[in-house]
Amino acid sequence: MLVQQYLPIAILVLFAIIMALIVVFTSVIFGPHRPTKKKLAPYESGMTPIGPAVRRLPVRFYLVAVLFILFDVEIIFLLPYAVVIRQLGLYGLIATGVFVVILTVGLLYEWKKGGLDWE
Amino acid sequence: MLTESVPLMQAVVPVLPEMGLLLLLILVLMHGVFSPKESRRTVCVITGVGFFTLMVIHLSVGFNFVGDPDFSGSGLGDIVRVDAFAVMFRAMILLAAALTCLMSGESRAINRRVEFYVALIVAALGMCLMVAANDLILVYVALETASVSLYIMAGFQRDSKLSSEAGLKYYLFGAVTSAILLYGLSLIFGFTGETNFSRLGPALSALTANGSEGVFALVVALLLVLVGLGFKVAVVPFHFWTPDVYEGSPTPSVAFISTASKAASFGLLVRFFSIVWPAEMIPYWAGLLAALAAITMTLGNMLALVQKNIKRMLGYSSIAQAGYALIGVVALSDTELGAAAVAFYMAMYVLTNLAAFAVISAVEWNTGSVQIADYAGLSRRSFPLAIVMVVAMLSLGGVPPAAGFFGKFFLFSAAVDAGYTWLAIIGVVNAIIALFYYLTVIKVMFVGKAEDESRYTIRPRLAVVLWVTGVGILLMGTLASPWWRWAVEASQQLTVMLP
Repeated sequence: MLVQQYLPIAILVLFAIIMALIVVFTSVIFGPHRPTKKKLAPYESGMTPIGPAVRRLPVRFYLVAVLFILFDVEIIFLLPYAVVIRQLGLYGLIATGVFVVILTVGLLYEWKKGGLDWE
Repeated sequence: MLTESVPLMQAVVPVLPEMGLLLLLILVLMHGVFSPKESRRTVCVITGVGFFTLMVIHLSVGFNFVGDPDFSGSGLGDIVRVDAFAVMFRAMILLAAALTCLMSGESRAINRRVEFYVALIVAALGMCLMVAANDLILVYVALETASVSLYIMAGFQRDSKLSSEAGLKYYLFGAVTSAILLYGLSLIFGFTGETNFSRLGPALSALTANGSEGVFALVVALLLVLVGLGFKVAVVPFHFWTPDVYEGSPTPSVAFISTASKAASFGLLVRFFSIVWPAEMIPYWAGLLAALAAITMTLGNMLALVQKNIKRMLGYSSIAQAGYALIGVVALSDTELGAAAVAFYMAMYVLTNLAAFAVISAVEWNTGSVQIADYAGLSRRSFPLAIVMVVAMLSLGGVPPAAGFFGKFFLFSAAVDAGYTWLAIIGVVNAIIALFYYLTVIKVMFVGKAEDESRYTIRPRLAVVLWVTGVGILLMGTLASPWWRWAVEASQQLTVMLP
C-alpha cells in the first residue's frame, strides 16, 4: 500500500529521464553534422572569444553578496512579523529584538573589519 | 517546587547553555574588533573561561532541575528536550570547547585570531542543540550549524596547503552526506507527517505494524540517515575524510573535531536510535550497526598500525574508537546499558584525546613536527609531557589505571548482555591489536634517542589543559563508579522520556 503510493512519482521520474534522453539523442543521431572550426568554438554572443571563460573576480563582490543575503533574510523575517506585530505582543517583540541584535553585531563586525570600504 | 514558582525557568533552563553561548559569541566578536590591539591576546582566555563558567552553571542547574517531576525539560516549543543524558553530553562538549580555547591560545596558527573562537562557539552551540534535539528539523539545523563551523576550523590556516585541503575535503564530504541525511529525514517525515520525536515513535510503529512494506520503506530511510550520522562519527564506509582532516587542520581544530563533534554525534545517534525507531526495526539497524562496528574497528586499527604522522595515526585511531563506541549503540537494541556505556566511553574519549592533542600541541610549539619519529627522547626533553602522553595512550588502548579500561569494559559487557558476544570478542581482539601502535609511541618517547635533547618549554595555558585532562583520565579510571552510575541514570531517563 505504502510503496504503491509512491509509484506515480517513480513513473514521473522515469518518464523525465527517458524524455531527456530522447530529446538529446534524436538530434545527435538524426541531425546533420557539418562541423567547422568556427562552429566548434565556444559561443560568446556571436563574436570571436577573447580569453578563457573562468576569470578572476574581485573578492569584494562576494562580500557584498554575503551582506546582501544577510539583510535580505532580515527583511524576509521582519515583514511577516510586521503583519502580526500586535498579536505576538511582548514575546514577539523580544524575539525579534534578539534576532535584530545578532544581525547588528554581525554588521558592526563587518564594518570594523573594513568590509564596507570599497577601496 | 522551584519550577512552579518560576515559570520562566521552565522555558529558559532547557536552552540555558545556548543562550549563554550566544551572549559569549557577541562578547567575543565585539572584543575582537572594538578593544585595543594589544588586549586581543586575551581572547582565548575570555572564551575559555566563558565556556567553563557555562559548563559549571549548566551542570548545577541541570542537577537541580532534571529529574524533578515538575520539570518537563521541553523547550522552544518542544523541539528541545533536556534530560540527564543531554546534560551529560552538553557538559562534555562545553569542557572540550573550554580546553580547546586554551590550546588555541598556544597555537601559532590561531593564537589571537578572533574568528576561530567565534567558529568554536557556534560549533559548540550547534552541538549543544544536537544532543538535546527532539525534532527532525532541529536535528538537521543543529547538525549543519555545528558542521559549517567545523569546516571553517579545519581550513583555518589559510596559508597552509594541507589545512586548505583538509577544510575543502571536510566540506565537500560533509555537504554530500548531510544532503543524504536530509533526504532520509524527509522520507521519515513523508511516511508519518510528524517531525517531533515523541509523536514520531508511535507514528512509525503504526507504519511498521502495517506489514513488510512499511518496514522496507523505513529501512531505506534508515540507510540514508546512517550515511549522514556515520560521516560525523567517522564510521567505515564514510571515514575517508578523517586522516586528511586530522593531518592538515591546525591541532586545536583537530582536538575539537575529534572530541566534541564525535561526542555530540554519538549523543544524537543514541537518542535517535533509542527513541525514534519502532521495535520491528531493531533487527535491521542492530545487525547493520554491528557489521559496521566490526568493520570500523578492524580497518581503523589496521591502518593506524602503519602511520608515521602522529596526527594521522590518531585519525585512524579515532575511526577505531568510533567502532568501539558503536558497539554500545548496537547493545542499545536490547539493554539501556548500551547508552550508558556510550556516554561513559565518550566522556573518557573526550578527556583522552584532548590530552593527546595537548601533548602534540606542546611538541609542535617546540619543534614544529608531528612525526612520531621526532617524539624520540621526549621523556628526557620534558618528563611531564611524556607522562601525560603515556596516560593518554594507555587510556586509548584500554589499559587499567587509565579511564579507557572501564570505557571498553562497560561497552563489551553491554554487548554481551545484549547477546552480541561475537562483537565483544572482535572488540577485545582489536583492542589488543591497537595496543601495538599506542605502545609504539610510548616506546619511542622513552627508549628512542634524539641527537638534540634540550628541554622543551610547556606554555602555561597548555599546562592547564595537560593537568585537567591527565588528572581527569586517572580519576575516571580509578574511581569509575560515580561516573558510571551517572551514565546509567542518564540512560534510564532516555528511555523513560518516551511520551
